[in-house]
Amino acid sequence: MIELLLNLNPGLIIILAGMICAVLPASQIRKLLVIAAPIAGIVSISTLYTDQEVIGGIIEVGRQSFTTLRIDSLSLIWGYIFCVVGVLNGIFGLHEKCQITDSSALIYMGSAIGGVFAGDLLTLFLFWEIAAVSSVPLIWKGGERAYAAGVRYLAIHIFSGVALLAGAIIYGRANGGDFTFGHIGLNAPGGWLILLAMGIKCGFPLLHNWMQDAYPKASITGTVILSAFTTKLAIYALARGFAGEDILIYIGAAMTVFPVFFAVIENDMRRVLSYSLNNQLGYMVCGIGVGTSLAMNGVAGQVAVHIIFKSLLFMSMGAVLYRVGTIKGSELGGLFRSMPLTTVFCLVGAASIAAFPLFAAFVTKAMIISAVIKEHHYVISFILLFASAGVMEHSGIKIPYFTFFSHDSGRRVEEAPWNMLVAMGLASALCLFFAFPFGGYQFLYSLMPYAADYDPYTADHVIFQLQLLFAAIVAFALLKRLRIYPAERRAEIIDFDWTYRKLGLSVVKWLGAMWMRLNAVSANMRDRFAGSLGRKLQQVFSPAGTFSAGSPVNLPYVLTAAMLFICLIGVYIGAS
Amino acid sequence: MANAEIKTMEDLTLEERERAEAHPLAVPFLFLGRKSFQDKFIYIALIGLLITIGLGFIYPLHHPAPYDVMPASWGWIGFLSYSFLVLCAKPLFKLLARPESYYGEDPNMDLDHIPEEQPHD
Repeated sequence: MIELLLNLNPGLIIILAGMICAVLPASQIRKLLVIAAPIAGIVSISTLYTDQEVIGGIIEVGRQSFTTLRIDSLSLIWGYIFCVVGVLNGIFGLHEKCQITDSSALIYMGSAIGGVFAGDLLTLFLFWEIAAVSSVPLIWKGGERAYAAGVRYLAIHIFSGVALLAGAIIYGRANGGDFTFGHIGLNAPGGWLILLAMGIKCGFPLLHNWMQDAYPKASITGTVILSAFTTKLAIYALARGFAGEDILIYIGAAMTVFPVFFAVIENDMRRVLSYSLNNQLGYMVCGIGVGTSLAMNGVAGQVAVHIIFKSLLFMSMGAVLYRVGTIKGSELGGLFRSMPLTTVFCLVGAASIAAFPLFAAFVTKAMIISAVIKEHHYVISFILLFASAGVMEHSGIKIPYFTFFSHDSGRRVEEAPWNMLVAMGLASALCLFFAFPFGGYQFLYSLMPYAADYDPYTADHVIFQLQLLFAAIVAFALLKRLRIYPAERRAEIIDFDWTYRKLGLSVVKWLGAMWMRLNAVSANMRDRFAGSLGRKLQQVFSPAGTFSAGSPVNLPYVLTAAMLFICLIGVYIGAS
Repeated sequence: MANAEIKTMEDLTLEERERAEAHPLAVPFLFLGRKSFQDKFIYIALIGLLITIGLGFIYPLHHPAPYDVMPASWGWIGFLSYSFLVLCAKPLFKLLARPESYYGEDPNMDLDHIPEEQPHD
């Protein structure tokens, strides 16, 4: 027991804080806990980890043991950055006095941290499901329209959990009951099911729609919190289980490209950012597919900086929504006059995601692209560069331009509340610090899973990256001048979720109607059949029936029990 | 006499009104919203592009891909990719855009967020 407490998964501390929040009516103490719990998580991780892999917190349940704690060089950076963004989210949400949000946020964050420190697949599954269930209230807090999106989100994530559990059981049985979460690979039994589970959570093409459906509808604070954990937990799981699987290179490349086409025509700025999130995950998946130490370092670094700058961008859009009451690009514009600090923070986030030198992604994204080129995947590297221009379009230009500049919408509002400004300021400082050439990026690199021998500030890298970004800005300015750049227009942009939200629903409705009709037509027939079947069973099984004729009175029971036993054997054989 | 010099909002010119309404920190940057500045912005980007193209010849890529044989390759990729994306927007919008109530959900949902938040300031 003492061993268990000394090796407590830091995620469990945060989950416990979340459970306390659920019953704590005093909002000031709750807010203190929301910020203190992730700080306690950072302290716990740094105490537990001492440059060596730490395995502990082993719990025996029946014949199954659960390794609830494993901290190594791969999981370390995820754990730290989850805690850091947890503190930022806590500050950002200080204005919102909502017990459910505080409690859900902590339990959700704790389960994500618990997941990255899970030593076996069954523990991972438990945290995976807790993360799914605990995050739904954050979506439902977004209002009436968020309810259906939350239900869809929950269904998809529970399905992901079921796939993970099924894959884990198949994998564990094939390994003689060993569920250790290490490299799995696609050739392992259950590998594809586990990949499917992770693919759903990190938004593989055609499995991605839950993100663009739920995130823009969540509450202001909820979207910021949601953007940080679920997908990065999945990226961690992929990095742990499927590094070096070639198929991920192609899936990742597809993920970088398709969202940029949707982002360019989307009017809801938080939905644009959801597509942007999907696009950034593509770089990470691609890097995992390459699987070299350079690529894996790039993935870990990209996860760390992406969590910060994507939170920052969602925070700035949240601040706009909070003050203006809408986040539709067609209704915004000219807000830099009223919200200058929010504008500056949004521009820092935009420059960071676009990978301008001295801004966060510049020191990490290049590692992934370099690794792709070094492995001679030239077509993929070209696709990643194409997607980089896309990132510049949707997050580097569209988000700040249409929100804060563009035509003056005439809206004069107050600057964001102080807590939002503090959270955005800290996130901006981190974006600059992680890319700072003198000690900044070196600190980030020291947290990476492999020794990082990479210098992002070479003359050629700075020059060619700026060349790409300046060319994209020239294209934007030119297309604006020529009036070719499309204006923001209100619309619902349909994506692959049309298949289940419209087509699937129509099919189910049609089947329901057909069933009702069939029911009405066949009611008499069914009644006659049921009556006839009942009479026949009565004739055979009743004490006066065929089985009892000339036999001891208990024989029907014995025969029925034998039949059930045979069924049971059949089910058992089928299941094993 | 002094009262006669006080101007109401209606008396202010557009520029004065903009300054009066703007956040104090935004006042020195109001030029960013002017069309004349936004029209000239292309020249800043163009100068940046030309400088980086020139420097690209002096500091070529250490690990070039086959497509990097073309001079200013990343510039071309950035310009053409961006333009392609924007040019795709019109046909894509025609193909994929539906009325906001297409899925039967309230398109004015943004306003739902506000009452739930409890501002502290």
